[in-house]
Amino acid sequence: MICPRLLTASVGAAALITSCAAAFVAPYDETTDRLLTDLSVKTETAIAKADGGKLSEEDRAKFYDEALGTVRTMKRRSSLFAKNEDEIKAVTQLEQRFVDLREHGSSPRSSLATGLRATILAVQQIQIAKKRSSVFSARLKKSG
Amino acid sequence: MTQDIIAAATGAAKGHAADLKQYVEAHARIIADGTKQIVSDRIQNKITDDDLRFAFDQIKESEATSLLAIEVTLKAAAQDAINAAISVAEAAINKAVGIALL
Repeated sequence: MICPRLLTASVGAAALITSCAAAFVAPYDETTDRLLTDLSVKTETAIAKADGGKLSEEDRAKFYDEALGTVRTMKRRSSLFAKNEDEIKAVTQLEQRFVDLREHGSSPRSSLATGLRATILAVQQIQIAKKRSSVFSARLKKSG
Repeated sequence: MTQDIIAAATGAAKGHAADLKQYVEAHARIIADGTKQIVSDRIQNKITDDDLRFAFDQIKESEATSLLAIEVTLKAAAQDAINAAISVAEAAINKAVGIALL
């Protein structure tokens, strides 16, 4: 038999615990991660071509247009989720790296694209942290 | 129960800590390799002084995004640690009352 006082205390604790579940970051979004992976592949391909002197001006313009289209799509998608302000800021900074490179007017060779590469890596780390957290949350729910 | 909560919370944060170490190392490699490339390209006149200044400015700008990545990782680690601790507390309450109340 359950003691009424214990039950009352438990219900109170239950309400407190349920309302206290921590949520500091938005859930992992596979679509954003896929867009970022595609962008990373396209960027590294363009850098390799630029390093080898094989990126024509036309290819370069096309690369920047497509990259900016992808980044802006990611930004719009990121804005759909609550607790995602840091990712939105990071993607906005990524957009700025592409804009800066394009406006600088030179080929995106390795030496000039280091800041861009570091920025892409940072946004990838955000996806990794969110994915680990989502997997962990799912496992907790399953075991609970 | 305290030890169980501590174990659950620290266990949850460990994966993020390992990811963060990997990230910081990968970031440092990108900056180091990029710096070598900038110097090499300038010596070979593949880039100008203006390009060199631009490249370093871009690296400096990218540090703000790195900081955001570290912040998100720390927030995710804190979230998982807290939720793991809550889960242990829930299980303890369910066990104490003898029913799956939570």
